[in-house]
Amino acid sequence: MIRSSEDIIIRTVSRILVPFIQLFALYVIAHGHYSPGGGFQGGVILGASLVLLLITYGPSDTRRHISGKSVAVFSSLGVLIYSGIGFICLLLLGNYLDYGKLSGILHVTPAEARSLGILGIEIGVGFTVMAIMFSIFFDISSGGKPPEDEKE
Amino acid sequence: MEVTLLIQATDDSFRILEDARKQAKGLLDSASILEDARRQAKGLLDSTVGVTSETRQMEKQKIQAIFKGAQEAKSSFQNFIATFFLLFVFWVLLSGKFDLFHLTMGVICSVVIAHLTHDLLLANVRVGETRVIVRRFITYIPWLIYQIILSNIHVAYLALSPRMPIDPHVLRFSTKLESDISWVTLANSITLTPGTITMDIKDGEFFVHALDKKVADDLHAGEMEDRVAHIFMEADHIYIQDALDVARIYVALRKWG
Repeated sequence: MIRSSEDIIIRTVSRILVPFIQLFALYVIAHGHYSPGGGFQGGVILGASLVLLLITYGPSDTRRHISGKSVAVFSSLGVLIYSGIGFICLLLLGNYLDYGKLSGILHVTPAEARSLGILGIEIGVGFTVMAIMFSIFFDISSGGKPPEDEKE
Repeated sequence: MEVTLLIQATDDSFRILEDARKQAKGLLDSASILEDARRQAKGLLDSTVGVTSETRQMEKQKIQAIFKGAQEAKSSFQNFIATFFLLFVFWVLLSGKFDLFHLTMGVICSVVIAHLTHDLLLANVRVGETRVIVRRFITYIPWLIYQIILSNIHVAYLALSPRMPIDPHVLRFSTKLESDISWVTLANSITLTPGTITMDIKDGEFFVHALDKKVADDLHAGEMEDRVAHIFMEADHIYIQDALDVARIYVALRKWG
């Protein structure tokens, strides 16, 4: 069972670092199609920043930043974005995840459509990975018991 | 030797401060006499209205409450804006792409993160002092690097000399610093300096492991603590820069008065 840390150094440093870690995660997601990184890596970094909050500030404070409901919403929203983009490509008479076909509805060249399509996929993957990483860690750390704010 | 120098400097700055205080008090006194006369004249003029001291007090409190509320609301919004700019600069440094698409994405990401975490990054920051703190913090860094080089040499001497004259012990001192961010700055400065490691902070008490007597004495002299207090404008720190500032005001006052 994780309780909030008493150590003032850990609390302060993590409070200052968390915004930069999260922005770095978004950078990794957004630049995934040019440079190393992508949806999974960025999602893991986002999840890690939430885990850092959890182990320094404890479950109740972390739940204020991201509730159990929003974890569920984010994990399914990511899958929806991924499969949604795939199915739109199917509807436009392409293959599943054939981004080139998106150029018709986005009014851009097929090459740009591929770039944007991959970005959308990365965002979806990032959401799901972040939510699942956090919920795995949260469930293990709480010993399988539901957190207090969801009992009632 | 260094301690006596420090004490001397402290004494000097105390004297300068005291002089300046006296001077300022004299000015204030004369100003308050004028104010009294003005008030008396005004009282004679509209004695029919008759405002009691109690209502005046209430008016003052009301104005203060309004001012305080406005300041708090402003500080939350200011935190958001400051966090946004910090994060956006960080984004541009990371990304290095200046086309519209990436900058827009940076703005969106920074706004989202700033909205989520503006109460984390800039908690406990008092209104209107951030710029001074940042400037002082930047000037603190070269001094810290210099100290790190000095103690590097000292620790290298300790390690390389055949007798290895170390005398490890744990110091325990209570600090005059007030906020968590200044504690952490001091603790990390101590840990960065070779030969000393901050083990714990409990209720404003530092537990520091020191490698030998000289390092411990340097720490006890408290220059690092003074400088950190100066950065975050905490404690009634007597600091040479402050004495110089006061001296400048003092000179100006003399010229003026």
